[in-house]
Amino acid sequence: MAEIAFRNVTKRYGATLAVDDASFTVADNEFFCIFGPPLSGKSTILRLILGLELPDSGEILINGTPVNAVSPAARNIAMVFQNLALFPHMTAADNVRFPLVERRQPAAWIEARLKDAAEKLHITHILHKMPGQLSGGERQRVAIARALVRDPAAYLMDDPISALDARLREETRVELKRIQREAGRTLIYVTHDQEEAMSVADRMAILDRGAIAQIGSPVQIYDHPVSTYVARFLGSPVMNILAAQAGAEGLWAAGGALRLRGEGWGTGLGTGLGTILGEVADLGIRPEDLRVTGWTADKGQPAQVTEVEPLGGYTVLTLAAGPQPLRALLRGQPEFTVGAQVALDCDPARVIYFSGDGKALPRTATGDRT
Amino acid sequence: MTTIRLENLAKRFGPFTALKAMDLTIADGEFVALLGPSGCGKSTTMNMIAGMQTPSEGRILFGDRDMAGVAMGRRGVGFVFQNYAIFTHMTVRENLSYGLRVTRRPSHEIGQRTALMADLLQLGPLLDRPAKGLSVNILQRVAIGRSAVMEPAIFLLDEPLSNVDAAFRAVMRTELKQLQRRFRQTMVYVTHDQLEAMTMADRIAVMDHGMLQQVGTPLQIYNDPANLFVARFIGSPGMNLLPGLVVDTAAGVVLDLGALGPSPVLAPAQAQAARAAKGGVVFGFRPEQAARVAQGQGMALPVSFVERIGARTILHLGPGAGAVKVGFENDAGFEVGTMLHFAPHPGAVRLFDAVSGVALEGASDG
Repeated sequence: MAEIAFRNVTKRYGATLAVDDASFTVADNEFFCIFGPPLSGKSTILRLILGLELPDSGEILINGTPVNAVSPAARNIAMVFQNLALFPHMTAADNVRFPLVERRQPAAWIEARLKDAAEKLHITHILHKMPGQLSGGERQRVAIARALVRDPAAYLMDDPISALDARLREETRVELKRIQREAGRTLIYVTHDQEEAMSVADRMAILDRGAIAQIGSPVQIYDHPVSTYVARFLGSPVMNILAAQAGAEGLWAAGGALRLRGEGWGTGLGTGLGTILGEVADLGIRPEDLRVTGWTADKGQPAQVTEVEPLGGYTVLTLAAGPQPLRALLRGQPEFTVGAQVALDCDPARVIYFSGDGKALPRTATGDRT
Repeated sequence: MTTIRLENLAKRFGPFTALKAMDLTIADGEFVALLGPSGCGKSTTMNMIAGMQTPSEGRILFGDRDMAGVAMGRRGVGFVFQNYAIFTHMTVRENLSYGLRVTRRPSHEIGQRTALMADLLQLGPLLDRPAKGLSVNILQRVAIGRSAVMEPAIFLLDEPLSNVDAAFRAVMRTELKQLQRRFRQTMVYVTHDQLEAMTMADRIAVMDHGMLQQVGTPLQIYNDPANLFVARFIGSPGMNLLPGLVVDTAAGVVLDLGALGPSPVLAPAQAQAARAAKGGVVFGFRPEQAARVAQGQGMALPVSFVERIGARTILHLGPGAGAVKVGFENDAGFEVGTMLHFAPHPGAVRLFDAVSGVALEGASDG
């Protein structure tokens, strides 16, 4: 078992700040994702946990014990790299056995661990093959099995399934989640694929240039992003973020085509924003929360459909209604055509309200500051 | 005017057949995606259209002109690869204008066309930056621009977005489509990513194991897959496919789906087709096209895993994980272990021949 914690960890490479005062605790048995754009510090965090890098300041703890001075080997953490790094001259079975053979474990124990890991990863039937004879997905599973046999305190995985094609990734991520639950180990998982992160993570950390922008469950972060950075980074299509214009009966956005109103709007009570209504600079609206209906004259200003992307189960509309295009995600295959005039609407309770500095404004039951 | 016609096109590498007897006509100005998993023959097809590989059999015609023996450089095609080939010692401007300079266009024209392309691809502010040191995203944009600036009648792209990050890929999908609308090139786009194919292409050619499986608009392929491969490959997740046995009941013909119990009563045309299929029938419906129903009204399976991915929730059902998947709105409050009573939407059921995998005639109940 392993709980892994960072306390105010900073790491620089020359003038580059790779990890910026990061603090977080990964609970024992947690599936924890680290998600961020390229060069946001994801891989550096893994290297710090492994002990391949030392922090410039701050402390790393495993089960409450500081490990800054503990060697990588003594940390008992297994790593699955992005490039798999299987030995090409060894069979899949020998690759999986390798960490145990290297540690001079008894042969019977090695075989038992191999059998167990192979069954969990459904690779028993390919154990006799060489890596060169395996598909990308099979090589991936062998690499994960090799990490599993060691029975480490925690596993780290650096984008382990990015090389697989989309359908296989969808299946493998569910598989990984099952393996992690069955193995009952802490797993810290770096990915650049948001679907993957949302699917597998118990909790995730979103990075912004080395600093932690938000930590929480995928649902918490998706539904309650703390900033426009996080809001834009998670979600596909990207969240609509629109300049708000306050009026007597509510807020307007998108050049007047979208008006939020509800009971108590004059006081902001309908939004739960209360006294902070005046601070609202931008409205954040998820594409799936934008309601699109046929336009009639009584519905205010129309928006125009500029693009229709049918995905089968969903349809993405791009809409022109103001200075910037809006995206709407509709279920099914609604019959909107390019050029159609539509009316836009949105439940004010689903909107994220941002202040001028890009921070989400907290909402309370009454909307008043506490 | 450039249509592309592939007639009985085949390619073998020694004993290995990469492409079998492919027939496909791509209209002038059409955007066609060749979509399939790795090894399906899509890149081989593309390479033969470009003139990089010679067909083992069959013909390629641009308009009425047979391309046999016509060298790559003389086919008038633009080509963008997965791994952009950018001259790193040149600036963005020099890269964009390279083809125009080599073909000795007048300098005012070079200036104009380069500026227009830079504008379309939002490279304006970077024009005088050396290519060396630019991000992968920007370099791929330069590679597309360098090819597009020649305004080729045929534009071939082989997985051009697979190395760029997800956010940028979304932006580029829109830009590529706008680029194609503007220049009306005949566009052939190779990808394994169905999202790219669905959002950009006028028609999709789905390929597997060197064989063309189906050609159609994105919605035709999603709604009426020609066979089990297409049904499974298209969609995220793919179609639920359950083997069934034809059973007559008082209410009508149903399929016995084993652990899942009986299917809903089949529409008359489907019932007839199901009876005619001697080797058994596969019952299919899309995960997004199912609804919760009252207990006893539809099928029932325990929820084994809940994936909430942003705007959508995917429930994995069944004793064996992932046996059946259904998609729902968020906030529906599903918990692992509870029973889900569900039924496919009316009109959503598709039937396939269990032996050949081919969609049954009259299989669509809608």
